Amino acid sequence: MTRYKRQDPELSRRRFINLAMGTTAAVGGVSLISVLGTANPVFRLTRDKMPPLKGDVLVHASNNKEGQPVKLSELNEQLVRAWPMGKGENGENVIRKGDPNNLVAIYRFPRGQIIQPTNLEATINGEVVAYSDICTHAGCTVADSDTRAGAMKCPCHSGEYDPKRAAVVVGGPPPRGLAQLPIALQGDNLVVTDFFLQMPYPYTSEGEWESFKQEVEEQLA
Amino acid sequence: MNQWLDERLHLSRLNDKFLRKAFPVHHSFFLGEITLFSLIILILTGILLALSYEPSNSLVVNSFDPGTTDAPNLIPAAYHSALKINAMPFGDMLRRIHHWTANIMIAASVIHMMRIYFTGAFKKPREINWWIGMLLLIFAALTAVTGYVLPYDNYAYNTLKVIYGIAASVPWVGEWVAQAAFAGKFPGDGVIPRVYGYHIMLLPGILLALTGAHMLIMIKQKHTQPQYAKRIAYKKIVGVPLMTQQTPIMLLLTFAFAGIIVLFSAFIPVHPVEYFGPPTTTPINNIKPDWYLLWVFGVLAIIPSFELRIFGGLIGSEFVGAILVPTLALLAMFAVPMLDRSKENLYYAENPTNYPVRLGAGVAFMMLLVVWSVAGYKPELISAGILTTANSNTVLWIASFLVPALSYFAVQLIVRGIRSLRESDARDRAAFQAADD
Ligand code: FES
Repeated sequence: MTRYKRQDPELSRRRFINLAMGTTAAVGGVSLISVLGTANPVFRLTRDKMPPLKGDVLVHASNNKEGQPVKLSELNEQLVRAWPMGKGENGENVIRKGDPNNLVAIYRFPRGQIIQPTNLEATINGEVVAYSDICTHAGCTVADSDTRAGAMKCPCHSGEYDPKRAAVVVGGPPPRGLAQLPIALQGDNLVVTDFFLQMPYPYTSEGEWESFKQEVEEQLA
Repeated sequence: MNQWLDERLHLSRLNDKFLRKAFPVHHSFFLGEITLFSLIILILTGILLALSYEPSNSLVVNSFDPGTTDAPNLIPAAYHSALKINAMPFGDMLRRIHHWTANIMIAASVIHMMRIYFTGAFKKPREINWWIGMLLLIFAALTAVTGYVLPYDNYAYNTLKVIYGIAASVPWVGEWVAQAAFAGKFPGDGVIPRVYGYHIMLLPGILLALTGAHMLIMIKQKHTQPQYAKRIAYKKIVGVPLMTQQTPIMLLLTFAFAGIIVLFSAFIPVHPVEYFGPPTTTPINNIKPDWYLLWVFGVLAIIPSFELRIFGGLIGSEFVGAILVPTLALLAMFAVPMLDRSKENLYYAENPTNYPVRLGAGVAFMMLLVVWSVAGYKPELISAGILTTANSNTVLWIASFLVPALSYFAVQLIVRGIRSLRESDARDRAAFQAADD
C-alpha cells in the first residue's frame, strides 16, 4: 500500500476491475440459473403414473404374484399390497406403478370391526377396506405391526395407524392418517370406484391434490 | 538429468518450499493423513467401479435370471451392472473396499476434527481451514449418500425415496428443488444418471478442490506445534521433514491402513445387493442411514408431528427434523472459531484440560448426537420392549437434554480432579527438590 492515495477523477483501475468482475458474476449467475431450468425435466403424466382411478382393478403388487387380480378369498387381517391396474391409450392393461406412491394396502376384517370414521360405503360390505400404503410422514411403505395383529406400523420411524378406524394415526410422527380408497366388488375383482377420499402422500394441501385430480380428469377426457 | 529438470522446473525451490515441510511427531496428527489416503483409495476404486457400472435406471432383462420370453425378468440396468460387478473376480471385494473406505474416511475426518477442536487448533490464524474442513465433512457425507443410491437395489431405492421426500419438504420451493435435483418426480427416468453425475463428477471435484485448498493453507500456516515443541525449542518449528523422514512413516501408515481396509472388506460384507434385491414395493425393515447420519434419522423419529402453514408454505416435522435441526447443528460447528476472540496467533496445541468449558461443551455436543443416534433405533427399542410407543418420545427427549448436561458437569468434575492431582504433583516435586538442596 502506498502511503498517499492518489485521487483520480476518472475510473480507477481497482474500481474498473471490481465493476467488471461484478458484471461477469451477474451474467454468469443468470446464465447458470437458466441452465438449472434444464435440470428439471417436464413432467409427463403418463397413464402408469396416474393415481388409482374409477374402474381400476386392484392387482397384487408382491413380486411373485404381480399383476394377478386380488381375490376376496386371499384377504384377511394381514396386509395385502396391490397396484391399481387400468387401461392404457390403446386399451391394453397398464399397471399404474410408474408412481410408487400409488401402492394400496387392503385388509379384510370380520363384519362390524371396521368402524367410524372409516367411510363404510367405500368398503366392501364393511369387511374389506383399502388405503394408500404410503406413510404420510416421509413416504415409506407401511407394513403390518410386528407386535399387534390387525394394526399397521411404518418401519421407518414407527408411525402407527389403525386400519379399522380410517387408518388414523395412533402413534409416532405421521401428520395425518392414510387416505382411504373407495372400492367395490365387480365379479371376482376388487375395483376402484373413485379417487382417494383424502389427499394421499406426497400431497400436503387439499388444493394441490384437487388440481392434480383435475389434471388427470382433463387428460382422460 | 537432475540439473536438467531443476533448470526447468525449479525443483530445488519446490524442495525447500514443500518437500521439507515439517511434520509434528505425534500420533494424533495422522488422522488428517488417513482421511487423505482414504480419499485417494476411494478415487482409485471408484474409477475401477465406474468402468463396469451402467448409470441407468431403465429396465433390462436380468442376464442371470432372464425369466421367459412372455414374462422377462426386468430389472434396472444400474442394479444389473451391480450384480455383474459382484460376479467379476474380486468385484464384490472392490465394492466393499470402496464402501469401507468411505466409512473410514468420514470416521477419520470426524476424529480429526475432534482433535482440532479439543486442542484449540481452530483458533487464529486457522479459522479458514476449520471452515473448509466443515465443508469437506458436509460434501463427504453428500458424496457418500449419493454413492448409496447407485447400486439401485431395493435399499437404495427406498433411501432415495426418503431423500427425495426430505428435499421436497422444504417449504415453498421443496417440490421444485427435489425435481430439479433428482431429474423429475420420483423416481424419474433420469434419476440414476443424475445421481451418478453428482457422485463421480460434481462432488469428487468439489472434494478435491477443497482438499487442495485445505492442504495448501495448512502448509502455509504450518501445523500447530505439539506441547513438547515448546520445551525443546520455543517458537521454532519442530518436526520431521516430509522428504525423507515423514514419507516412510506415511507409506507405512498407508500400507497398514490399506491392509486393514482390505481385511475388513474380506470378512465384513457391506450393502449386499443380492440380498436386498431389485426395487420393489416391499418395505425393508430397519432401513437406516449410515452411522454418521443416524442422528438426523433419530431426530426425525422423535420429533412430534406438526404442520405449520406460513404464506402457503408448509413447515412440517420432516423439514424441521431433517433439514432445520441438522443445519443448526452444523452452524454451531461453523461458529466454533468465532467464539474465540484472541488476537494472538496460536502456535502450540492446547491441553484440553486447561479449557474445561470448551472441553465440556464439545463432549456435551457429541453426547447429544449420540443420544439422537440411539433415537434412530427407536423402532428396535420399541420392538425389544425397552420403550413403548407411548413413552419413547418423552424418554428420548428427556435424554436429549439430560445426557449432554450431565456429561458437561461430569467433564468439569473430572477436569478439576486432574488439576488437583497435577497441583499436588507439583507441590510434591517442589518439596522433594527442596529436600534435595
Ligand atoms: S416415514 Fe413412516 S413414520 Fe416416518
